[in-house]
Amino acid sequence: MGTFWRGVLKGAVGPRDNDSRYLLDVHRRDLPGEATMRRYADDEEVDLLVVGAGAGGSVLAQRLARRGWTVVVLEAGPFWHPDEDWVSDEAGSHQLYWTQDRVIGGADPIELGKNNSGRGVGGSMVHYAGYTPRFHPSDFSTFADDGVGVDWPLSYADLRPHYERVERELPVAGQDWPWGYPHRYPFAPHPVTGAAGKLREGALACGIEMRVGPVGIINGTFGNRPHCIYRGYCLQGCKVNAKASPYVTHLPDALAHGVEVRANCMALRVEIDDATGAARGVVYAREGDGEHRRQRAKLVAVACYSIETPRLLLASTSKRHPHGLGNNADQVGRYVMVQGAAQSAGRWPEELRMYKAPPPEISSEQFYETDAARGFARGFSIQTVSPLPIGWAEHVLADGHWGRALREYMRDYNHWATIGVLNELLPHPENRVTLADETDTFGQPVARMDYTLSDNDKANMAFSAKVIHGVLDAAGAQDVLTIQRFAHLIGGARMGGSPENSVVDADHRVWGVPNVLVSDGSVCPTQGSANPALTIMALASRLAERLGA
Amino acid sequence: MAADDLPGVGADIAAGAHLPKLRPGTQPPPPSWLPRQRRGTTPQMIGRYPDFDVLDAVDTWDDATKKVVLARLESPGPLRFFSAEEEPTLVAFCDVVLAQDAEPRVPVAAMVDAKMADGKLDGYRYADMPRDPDTWRTVLAGLDHTARSAYGCSFAECSAERRENIVGEFAQGRLVGGPWDELNVARAWSVVMRGALAAFYSHPWAWNEIGFGGPAYPRGFLRLGGGAAGREPFETSGAVAVDPVREDSR
Repeated sequence: MGTFWRGVLKGAVGPRDNDSRYLLDVHRRDLPGEATMRRYADDEEVDLLVVGAGAGGSVLAQRLARRGWTVVVLEAGPFWHPDEDWVSDEAGSHQLYWTQDRVIGGADPIELGKNNSGRGVGGSMVHYAGYTPRFHPSDFSTFADDGVGVDWPLSYADLRPHYERVERELPVAGQDWPWGYPHRYPFAPHPVTGAAGKLREGALACGIEMRVGPVGIINGTFGNRPHCIYRGYCLQGCKVNAKASPYVTHLPDALAHGVEVRANCMALRVEIDDATGAARGVVYAREGDGEHRRQRAKLVAVACYSIETPRLLLASTSKRHPHGLGNNADQVGRYVMVQGAAQSAGRWPEELRMYKAPPPEISSEQFYETDAARGFARGFSIQTVSPLPIGWAEHVLADGHWGRALREYMRDYNHWATIGVLNELLPHPENRVTLADETDTFGQPVARMDYTLSDNDKANMAFSAKVIHGVLDAAGAQDVLTIQRFAHLIGGARMGGSPENSVVDADHRVWGVPNVLVSDGSVCPTQGSANPALTIMALASRLAERLGA
Repeated sequence: MAADDLPGVGADIAAGAHLPKLRPGTQPPPPSWLPRQRRGTTPQMIGRYPDFDVLDAVDTWDDATKKVVLARLESPGPLRFFSAEEEPTLVAFCDVVLAQDAEPRVPVAAMVDAKMADGKLDGYRYADMPRDPDTWRTVLAGLDHTARSAYGCSFAECSAERRENIVGEFAQGRLVGGPWDELNVARAWSVVMRGALAAFYSHPWAWNEIGFGGPAYPRGFLRLGGGAAGREPFETSGAVAVDPVREDSR
């Protein structure tokens, strides 16, 4: 479709091969089709067994089910019924996060849980903020261009059709995008709040271009999905069905095409046939039931994200794979990444009430690529955010305030607006997921994640902190509070050209095992400074195409 | 102390003269510059929105949210995780870090206790730290250890000023000796504060104090912030204790 028609048809074009938006109920939020969902017996050999009902697993299941494959998706967490299970409340949303035991180490340990880890049908996109930027073409060749990171075994051109397809499915709302590979979005940008408007003024005064979006939140109606109501609780699960997650964008269509989503089932290991070296299925246990079951499958796709995917591959030991799957060269769990995500808040005389509207509003990718003058490789993006009271309290605490000073800043909540960065932190082999000595309630070793920043990472974070502080100053902020933090997970089972330096090949096949795939963000060799959700979905969409869908 | 006695605070919220970092010693003014709450409840009955009660909107909340939020208003039972010996230290610590020096109080200690008793942890443990419930226990023992060695009494028996001194050192990660040597003290501070803040700012009384609109499903928001035009009819603007008319005539 040409640029002219994209403009004319904005807000009117949906995907041709995904009916999820029509299958949803206008008046109820449940995933339609749960009661009549097709079920498969454990000993029935299905065409595809997916582990993890999140962004990567759900897209893959939906695509292949449409091609007539028999598909089962195992999900460790619950099958949500949002009308009853999800609340407009920060503390009450605890069950959306992966809160099972994990250990964090290294010089710069990364907080997990609500920060970056989801559990339940729909995965962590149920509680992601909603930013859905694409990676830039430069992300696929950072080593060739800048001598850092590693080059992908595929290019932006391979992913571009899938970015466009997934953007129509979510659908993404935003202004025309000038950065990376310039493109338009299927839906028009959302209105800008008073808080984000302040930040845009400051950015413009600093010569920084900011654009509204891109967010996977509909601005308008989309099939039976209603318009966003601007209540601001995107991170607590969208009770409106306006924000995109696989729960509303791909799983309704998947269920309608015969996919079984088997919730509350924790995968324990991929079972390998020692005679052939191929996977026979996955051993799993239901929550609250110690019995080990085995679902047989012709093909297994692991889609448990950057911590649980390495954990499952490492735990899947057998005679042929004594160190776990794809781990003959000790690559599983390495090169796991997060993004630097410092946030600074500014204070203005008038009330801004940042709790309104989705936290993700406007962003800039002007600093995305390497600029030699800055003294470090690669870059960062800038995005507005808006913490609710508990998040705001953590922000005030991080700036060094407690007791009466904290209460004073908290009472001033309505006068503040918050801007954040996403730094591209570089992959490093010692930043890795391993198995700890302790075990969980299933007797499975828990994951340990070690993380240490490099000098390039620190220089990037220090530079970006000055940039957003400058934005607040230029916008006339009277006071500034800053929190250092990290966001997102990616890598840990990266794709590459050889088993010596990667876990999967360009078609997501685990090296050395003919029928095990990895279909989630852990395959990404680098991460850019874009939020990963859209790219994880686009990669799964491409993988499905490579498998024949 | 009346607001007149606080140079630079007065009625001027806009100027931000009450903001700790803009004041000498980064200390906030005593809360006497704030109006008493006239509608609904706030912690210590102070706040910036004296005529705003988030619970007025409870009829517009969905049932699931209503159930979760209103449960926090029920009076807490006896502690289930912490022992009777630990209780005074826990309560005193939660009071100090959230500056709750009078009734009505948000029952932070009881809310932290419930979280630990139910095992609702946050999904990660630092490699050099015990699990969160054990960290809490060790911190409470450490506070008593420091209070006894510095002031010869338990943490709960110390004066408010002495408790604040100890907590100030804790916030800087500077406490050593006894139970503190079992912990990375700076990380222990972040673990316990995460729990205390999440409890306090999940309570509707705290939302009244800060003028937070609260749950808004299925109603939503139409006016998206930024000055008077960005305010919904049911949201009221901030206020101070000083009568603006008297202020002008002075």
